[in-house]
Amino acid sequence: MARDRSVILRVVQNMFLHVFLMTVAVACLFPLFWMVRSSLMSKAAIFTDHGLIPRDPHWGSYATAWVKGDFGIYFLNSVLYTVCVVMGIVIIGSLAAFAFSRLRFPGRNILFTLFVAAMMIPLPGSFVPLFVLMSKLHLANTRLGYVLCMINVGLSFSILLLKTFFDKMPTDLEDAARIDGCSRLQIWWHVALPLARPALAVIVVYNALNVWNEYILATLLLSDKSLMPLQRVLMVFNGAYQVDYPILMAGLTMTALPIIGLYLLMQRYLVKGIFSGAVVG
Amino acid sequence: MRHAFVRLSCVVLFLAIFGCGRVDRHSETVELWHWMTDRDETLQKLARQYEQETGVRVHVELFAPSDAYSNKIIAAAQANVLPDIFGLLDKKPIVASFIKAGFVEDLTPAFEADGGAWQAELFPPAVDTNRFLPGNVEGVKPGIYGVPIDLTNIQLVFNRTLLKKAGIAEPAKTLDGFLEQVATLRRVGVTPFVSGFGEIWLVDCFASNYAFNILGEEKVMRTFQGEVPYTDSGWIEVLRVFDRLARAGAFMEGIVTKGNKYAEQDFALERAAFAFNGSWCVNVYHDMNPALDYGVTTLPAADPLLPMRSWGGAGSSFVVSAHGPNKEKAIAFLHWITRRDQQIVLTHETYNLPSNREAVVALPEVLGGFLRTMAHTTHPMIWSHSEDPVVVEALDKGIQAIIIGDATPEEIAARVQKVKEQQLRKLRRPGGF
Repeated sequence: MARDRSVILRVVQNMFLHVFLMTVAVACLFPLFWMVRSSLMSKAAIFTDHGLIPRDPHWGSYATAWVKGDFGIYFLNSVLYTVCVVMGIVIIGSLAAFAFSRLRFPGRNILFTLFVAAMMIPLPGSFVPLFVLMSKLHLANTRLGYVLCMINVGLSFSILLLKTFFDKMPTDLEDAARIDGCSRLQIWWHVALPLARPALAVIVVYNALNVWNEYILATLLLSDKSLMPLQRVLMVFNGAYQVDYPILMAGLTMTALPIIGLYLLMQRYLVKGIFSGAVVG
Repeated sequence: MRHAFVRLSCVVLFLAIFGCGRVDRHSETVELWHWMTDRDETLQKLARQYEQETGVRVHVELFAPSDAYSNKIIAAAQANVLPDIFGLLDKKPIVASFIKAGFVEDLTPAFEADGGAWQAELFPPAVDTNRFLPGNVEGVKPGIYGVPIDLTNIQLVFNRTLLKKAGIAEPAKTLDGFLEQVATLRRVGVTPFVSGFGEIWLVDCFASNYAFNILGEEKVMRTFQGEVPYTDSGWIEVLRVFDRLARAGAFMEGIVTKGNKYAEQDFALERAAFAFNGSWCVNVYHDMNPALDYGVTTLPAADPLLPMRSWGGAGSSFVVSAHGPNKEKAIAFLHWITRRDQQIVLTHETYNLPSNREAVVALPEVLGGFLRTMAHTTHPMIWSHSEDPVVVEALDKGIQAIIIGDATPEEIAARVQKVKEQQLRKLRRPGGF
C-alpha cells in the first residue's frame, strides 16, 4: 500500500515536472516559431491574420531578403569573423588560462584579477577609446581590427572559465606527460586541451553566439558596408520609421539557422561543460 | 581531431593575414554617412546620377540604428576621421559643441553666394533649424551650419472613415470641441486617440505645443531661463490638458508605454480615430495600409484666441566636415541634392516633404496637408533658449503619471519646479555646467 502510494507520488511529481519543462520549452520555442510563421506571411496579412499557421504561405520573403539585403557578402563576413574570433579566443584564452593555472610568476594574481575585472567594463563605455586606438593603429575599418577587438571582448570570460577547469585538472597527468618528455607547450596541446573539450565547447558556443549577434562595435569600427556582418541587414530591415516585417523575419530566420545548427552540434559537450569540473581527468 | 584543429588554425591564420585588409577608397571620393534606412536606396541612386553628371564620386554609407550612428559620429570626431558629409542627430547643445570644436564647416558663405540664391530656393523653417542666430546662448558664431534635405512637422492625423462612423464631419479646432468628439467616438466604440507617448520626446512635443498656445513663446522661454515657475497657472493649465483628455477617455489603453512604431500600427489598422504623428507617417501608413483614408490638421487649441504651434522644420539635415579633404565638392553635392529635380525624386520615392520650395509638385494629398500647416511650426532648434534635459525629463514623466492617473497637474507642477530649482542651483554654482 505504502509502495503504491510512493509510486503514485513519483508519477504525479514526474507529471508536474514534465508539464513545467514542457511549458518552459514552449516558451523558449514559441518566439522562434512565430518568427518563421511571420516570415511566411504577406505584409498585409501580418497585421490581420492572427492564426498560428499562415493561410497562404509566401516563401518569396526569403529570396527578397537574400537579394535585397545582399545576404551573401554579409554572411561570408559573419562566418569569417566568427571563425577567426572563436579560434583566436580558444588559442589565446586556453594558453593564458593554462599559464595562470600552472605557471608561478610574479604578479600572477594581480594580472588574473585585471583580466577578470575587464568583464565589468560595459562595451559601450569603451567605444570611443577603442575607436581612437584602432584609428591610431590604422586598424579602423579593417577586418583585422574588428577581429582583434572581438577577441579582446571574449577573452576575460574564456580565461576565467578555462582557468577554473585547468585548476581542477589532476597534476598527475601533467607529471606523467613530463616523464614522457613533453614540454609545457606540449602538455597544453596534448593533455590539457583534449581534457578541456567540454569547457571549450561552452567557450565556442558562447563566443560564436556573441560574435554572430554583434553589431554595435562593427558599426563603430567599420565604415564600409562590404566589411559589415550579417546583423547590418537586420538593422536596415528594421528601419527607423517603417519595418518590413515578413522580410525582417525571413532575414532573422536565415541568420538564426547557422547558430542553432552550431548549438545542436555542440550540445553534447555543452551540457557536459556546464556541469563538469569535478569529472576532469 | 587534433589534425583538424591544426588545419583550421592554418585557415584562420591565412584569413587573418590575407582576408582582413583595409578597404581603401580614393581620397577624392566624397564620403557621406547617414542613418536613414528608408532613404538609403534613393540617396545611392542620386549619388550615382551625380557621378554621371559631374564625374565626382559620392560614397553613401548607411549606419543604423540612429543611436549606433550617433556613437560612431562622436567616436569619429574624437579620432578626427569624420566623413566629408554627415548628420548630427543630437540636441542643439551637442550640435553647438561640434561646431565650437571646429568639426563643422560654416555654410553661410555658400548659402549667401549669388545674392543668397541657395537660401532662397529652400523653405525658411528648414534653413532656420540649421541656423545659429546672433547672441545665441550656445555661444556659436552666427551662421548656417546644415543643409536640410527635407522638411517635417508633427500634427494631428485623423481617420475619415472612423469619424464618419461617429457622425463627425471635421475634426474640432478647439480643445472643448475635441473633448465632445472624444465622447461621441467613445459612444460608438471607437478609441479616440493614439500616439507613441512611451517615447518622451513625443510627450514633450505635444506639451510644448500647448505651452506655446496657453503661455505664449515669450513666457515659455522665460520659464526655461528660470524666471517663470512651472507652478504658474499657465503651466498648470498645460498639464490639465492631459488630465482632461485622460479623464474623457481620449487615450488608447497603454498609451504611455507605447512606442511610436506601435502607435503608427494602431492608426494604420484603424484602431484609433486620431493620432499625433510626424509627416514621416505618410510613408509608414502607405506601407501598412495603402487604403487608409485620413487627413491632417493642427492640434485643437486650448486657447482659441492664441495661435497653435507645432514642432516642424528641417526633417533631416547634413553638415560638412571642416577638416575633410573634399569640402568644396561636399558643399556642391549638397547644393545639388536640394535642387528642384532631386528634391522631387526624394519626395516621390520616400514620401517626405521637400526642403525646396519649387519641388512642391503633385504631392500626395496628406503630404500636401502637412505642408499647409508648415506656416504654424516652431522647433526647439530655433528657440532662443532650451530647457535643461533633466527638467524636460521630469516634466514628460510627470505628464505620463497624469495620463495614468497617478498624479494631479498641481503635484507634477510642484515636482518639476523643484527639479528646475535644483538644476538652476547647480548652474549658478561656481564652475557649474
